[in-house]
Amino acid sequence: MLKVNNLYKSFGVLQVLDGITTQLQQGEVVAVLGPSGSGKSTFLRCLNLLEQPTSGQIYFKDVEITAPKCDILKIRENIVMVFQHFNLFPHMTVLQNVTYAPIKVKRLSKDHAEAIGMDLLRKVGLVEKADVYPSRLSGGQKQRVAIARALAMQPEMVLFDEPTSALDPEMVKEVLEVMRDLANSGMTMAIVTHEMGFAREVANRILFLNEGKLAEDTTPQQFFTNPQCDRAKQFLDKML
Amino acid sequence: MRFRSGQFGLFSVKRFVPLPRFARLGRSPWKLAISTFLLIIMTVNLIAQFSVSSVAQDIPKVLQMGTSADYKPFEFHDTSGGEDKIVGFDVDIARRLSEDLGFKLEIVDMDFNGLIPALQSQRVDFVMAGMTPTPERKRNIDFSQIYYEAKNTIIAKQNNSLTTIASLYGKTVGAQLGSTQEEAVKTMNQEAAKQKKPAINLVTRNRVSELIQEIKANRIDAAIVEDTVAQGYTGVYPDLQFSVIENNEGGYAIAFPKGSTLVAPFNKVLATMKKDGTLERFAKKWFEDQGKPAGIGFQQIIPSIPYILGGIGVTLAFTLVSAILGFIWAVVLALMKIAEFKPFRWLANAYTSVFRGTPLILQIALVYFATPQLVGYDIPAFQAGVIAFALNSGAYVSETLRAGILAVDKGQREAALSLGVPYRLMMTDIILPQALKNILPALANEGINLLKDSALVSTIGAADLLRRATVVGAEKYLYFEPLIIAAIVYYVMVMLLTMGTSVLEKRLQRSA
Repeated sequence: MLKVNNLYKSFGVLQVLDGITTQLQQGEVVAVLGPSGSGKSTFLRCLNLLEQPTSGQIYFKDVEITAPKCDILKIRENIVMVFQHFNLFPHMTVLQNVTYAPIKVKRLSKDHAEAIGMDLLRKVGLVEKADVYPSRLSGGQKQRVAIARALAMQPEMVLFDEPTSALDPEMVKEVLEVMRDLANSGMTMAIVTHEMGFAREVANRILFLNEGKLAEDTTPQQFFTNPQCDRAKQFLDKML
Repeated sequence: MRFRSGQFGLFSVKRFVPLPRFARLGRSPWKLAISTFLLIIMTVNLIAQFSVSSVAQDIPKVLQMGTSADYKPFEFHDTSGGEDKIVGFDVDIARRLSEDLGFKLEIVDMDFNGLIPALQSQRVDFVMAGMTPTPERKRNIDFSQIYYEAKNTIIAKQNNSLTTIASLYGKTVGAQLGSTQEEAVKTMNQEAAKQKKPAINLVTRNRVSELIQEIKANRIDAAIVEDTVAQGYTGVYPDLQFSVIENNEGGYAIAFPKGSTLVAPFNKVLATMKKDGTLERFAKKWFEDQGKPAGIGFQQIIPSIPYILGGIGVTLAFTLVSAILGFIWAVVLALMKIAEFKPFRWLANAYTSVFRGTPLILQIALVYFATPQLVGYDIPAFQAGVIAFALNSGAYVSETLRAGILAVDKGQREAALSLGVPYRLMMTDIILPQALKNILPALANEGINLLKDSALVSTIGAADLLRRATVVGAEKYLYFEPLIIAAIVYYVMVMLLTMGTSVLEKRLQRSA
């Protein structure tokens, strides 16, 4: 579904991604792990071109999205993103947050978008908050709304950029549960996370990044029991 | 001469009507900029079309007379009925003239020193404003025969013996800017130089009423003023006196643009009016009931207060239209300033720098006086003021807005982008609403400034609050009283605006 070919990204003199090549299959849940500064977030943000790669190609369903004439807005409707800091629109209610893009971008009717939106809010357990402004929600609730907002676009793939890192520990679980349900439903997902237990349980594949390079590309079983490179071993020693 | 027809070359509505792509603006801020600017011009243009066509279409021939209606009894505003009429000796003559020649008369009021430029730019067809045909003026404009023999007087405080030209040598003497009295003082100085006497220190003001205040404040020793006007002021202020001086080039005539075909027919009717006693009759009517004030100070202007308060509407409409257009323009400029395309940024920054770096009053004068000469469109004072204010306020607000946009969390932009929201929607629905909330106090301040600065349009003759106050002052030979009333009204309006915004701010705080 997604093909990444020899991806480079640098900020000035700083080389952040150093030639990454990999593929994601439909329905796959990929956890992107690595020490801080290894380029995980940048890698994820390149996948929907929030960061413009310095060189290399990305193909989504055989369309090269890194090509200059590609309509990236159209692609982003299908590859949505959930952020560490939720980034809900503070001047809109929860339901408006969820239905805004389907109405304005996908041009669904208001009724249709709201039906989808309410259904998603039910799935993330926040129906009763539909008419509340985000400032009245807890962090965990905000992130669940953000996931509902992303899913309301009916995307083919969801990118999660450290979705639980800004949450209080007791709120992590509610968000991970929503993500687990989503993974079970067959959604293609790429997750940058520090939740090792979750990665091990839910992901089909682990990408381990180190200093901008793809150091390991393997199954969770293999990665957590028998990591190949030394850097991965050190990383796991610290994390577990 | 010109006839009004409701069509103007450059601003013809027809040329702007087919705009099919307005609803679907592209993503580039440049397209937005152009479309918005067209929209502004179209709006202003439509207002112009309405205001002109209502006068022009049913009556084919209109003569526009320029005057400076602060020169009682020759021309002044009669505001005692609550409504505003320009009346006086000159106005009666002008009405009779245009009646006899079969034209409809339209009076355009402006500052005295704007009259000759107005003739030269063909903004008016003729001028009657107690204007003396001096050789300097004759070089640039044409004159009719003299219809009134004027005498200059020295007006000064009682008992200081400033009654002859010789007594003025070495003193500070005032005259109205651009008037023949100013010329007269210069001539006196030539004489003084010949006689090896100390020169008169000449001081000029825009209005005679201001000269009178300068005398009362002891800033000047005396002023040179035309005799009927001097009569009026000395009637109101008993501590002043006037003395007539010799004046060999006195007298008032009608002024025309160079080469105007109106001179001959006007002269013919003037001659008839002289012969049949009409001029004398007018003179009796206007010059004989001078100098009997109806009460003192505020009492005198009570009948004119409704007229002054009528300026509130003009001031508010002006402020509101300018603020809205200025804001739209500011949004365009702010978007250019944060655009990735560098020339947009240079352009917007240069624009801001120019409009913040030059005085507003100068921008107003330029728009008002230069537009007819550059594009042939006779822009009314209100429109010229609105355009100048919108252009100026746009520059200031765009800076505030830019800061407000940059202060919105960058995650908002990323969230919108990652949902496939296009640039324009992201700006109008996500970024700008949040930026606006942040900068609301600054915007309210700008609104208050606009409201107060709107007084500047009185300089080009728009009948706003301040203009009306000065008009009443000229009519009643008073100065402070109408200005104090205007000041109170401005203060009340600003207070209401301030209270309104603080209520709005609290509301917004609650909503999120």
